[in-house]
Amino acid sequence: MHLDPFELHEPTTVEEALELAGSLSGKFDYLAGGTDLLPNYKMHINLRPHLISLERVSELRGVSADRIGAMTRLAELEEHREFGAAYPGVAEAVREVATPLVRASGTVGGNLLLETRCFFFNQTYPWRQSLGFCLKADGDRCHVVPQKERCYATFSGDLAPALAAVEAEVEVAGPSGRRRMPVEHLYNAAGDGILRLSLVPGEIVVAVHFPAHARRARAAYSKLRVRPSFDFPELGVAAAVWGAEESPEKVRLAIGGLETYPRRFDADTDPLAGAALTDAKVRTVAEAVTRRVRPVHNTFLPPDYRRRMTEVFVRRTLTRARSPSGSRAA
Amino acid sequence: MTSRPLRTRVNGTAVERTVPDERILLDLLREDLRLTGTKRGCDLGTCGCCTVLLDGRPTLSCLTLARSAEGREVTTIEGVTPAEGLHPVQRSFVEHGATQCGFCTPGFVLTSVALLRDHPHPDREEVARAISGNLCRCTGYTKIIEAVLAVNGGKPRGD
Ligand SMILES: Cc1cc2nc3c(=O)[nH]c(=O)nc-3n(C[C@H](O)[C@H](O)[C@H](O)COP(=O)(O)OP(=O)(O)OC[C@H]3O[C@@H](n4cnc5c(N)ncnc54)[C@H](O)[C@@H]3O)c2cc1C
Ligand code: SF4
Ligand code: FES
Ligand code: FES
Repeated sequence: MHLDPFELHEPTTVEEALELAGSLSGKFDYLAGGTDLLPNYKMHINLRPHLISLERVSELRGVSADRIGAMTRLAELEEHREFGAAYPGVAEAVREVATPLVRASGTVGGNLLLETRCFFFNQTYPWRQSLGFCLKADGDRCHVVPQKERCYATFSGDLAPALAAVEAEVEVAGPSGRRRMPVEHLYNAAGDGILRLSLVPGEIVVAVHFPAHARRARAAYSKLRVRPSFDFPELGVAAAVWGAEESPEKVRLAIGGLETYPRRFDADTDPLAGAALTDAKVRTVAEAVTRRVRPVHNTFLPPDYRRRMTEVFVRRTLTRARSPSGSRAA
Repeated sequence: MTSRPLRTRVNGTAVERTVPDERILLDLLREDLRLTGTKRGCDLGTCGCCTVLLDGRPTLSCLTLARSAEGREVTTIEGVTPAEGLHPVQRSFVEHGATQCGFCTPGFVLTSVALLRDHPHPDREEVARAISGNLCRCTGYTKIIEAVLAVNGGKPRGD
């Protein structure tokens, strides 16, 4: 499969990249590791005539105690012992992404901004053409929920839920300056597989930042996938618990792989603060969350199964995160 | 179409070429440089057949722009094979029947060469994890794992 011609730009600073983005408005994509974008380009999905590579922007690199540069390769993060010890839930998610070969190129920023996925979308041009193109690329209808005029493509990144559970933040740079926000605010919570992000066009993810309390969380991540390598999450559950097991200060739960955006369930976990996180409570939260999620039939496993597994995975992941031996607290 | 000069090293030899921006490393190797030992399987990151070493690290050449090799060193299966005979990893693959149709073999060999360079005595679990991005449709992996374990005198069947 050859790629259609495009012009590659290789800025060395964030400002230079933003300037290029401004001058190419709407006609470019950013390129990080390329492990998500290039397969889509090979399948002739939403091509742009320009790519702005972020590979040479040194500000986007580097891992420290409370910051990961957006261009950090997943393999680099995986090998970073101090990082793994400080944020065990995030480290679990990193190890579960794709394969070691994909992690050698794939970056943290690219993982957060991964294109949403759908069985009817991640296909070659002739495949999509023969069925009739869909809303998300070249067409005007949805094959998953034909009655609606919106896209249900699934957010399938592993890192976002794990980062959202420990209340990590992202720094973005755009035409009107820099801002920071909680990781889950990167996404369009109205639930749209096409307008999937809250970013304004041209904005660059610069880094992930960890507030001081993120280190004190006991955190865990569990991923449902068909093969223990290669496969995207059919469900990804991240949990974080602060404070003693007998009386946690705070509990956070974030889920990916089910809907168009990774979602936190604070309304269900806020009442858990201050009293022992018993098996009965864990079960009740798992049931409540499961009633709220709405997977559709656009990935490998049927949505009903993914829903039922949500209950099981929330239970298991919270149980792992609540006990001091499950995942370490600092 | 935008093209520009690319300067890189492939298997120890300096390469200078004018390549289009959208040129993929796999195509540069196979089509421009005629190094056909690197295989094109899925072309989408889902098989590992196209694995090469980029500055020593196993990399999927089908998802890497040729531009990314600028100023860096690419090693393909042709580069690890000595002028005469075989690399110890290749020999072990032959001895253990770890290759059948052979299409996946260059990728497995390069992944294993890098693993053994960084971890000369991996255990079975480490080998399985390291090769988990390479698919083989013929051997069922057992023989590949045994071949890798045996390279540095590990016991192929003992854990
Ligand atoms: C076989 C295979 C299996 C996979 N399995 C998984 C999996 O299990 N879990 C998973 O999460 N992912 C999986 N992936 C997807 C992908 O490899 C990873 O998500 C990876 O981390 C993406 O990073 P990248 O740097 O390659 O992204 P790219 O492809 O370079 O970029 C992805 C998107 O993000 C944008 N972008 C990237 N960086 C920035 C930035 N700093 N600022 C603004 N925009 C940016 C790009 O424009 C593009 O739209 C898989 C991919 C393959 C090929
Ligand atoms: S959910 Fe519908 S519109 Fe969205 S990618 Fe799938 S088929 Fe296309
Ligand atoms: S050809 Fe590159 S991974 Fe299959
Ligand atoms: S030997 Fe045939 S695919 Fe591996």
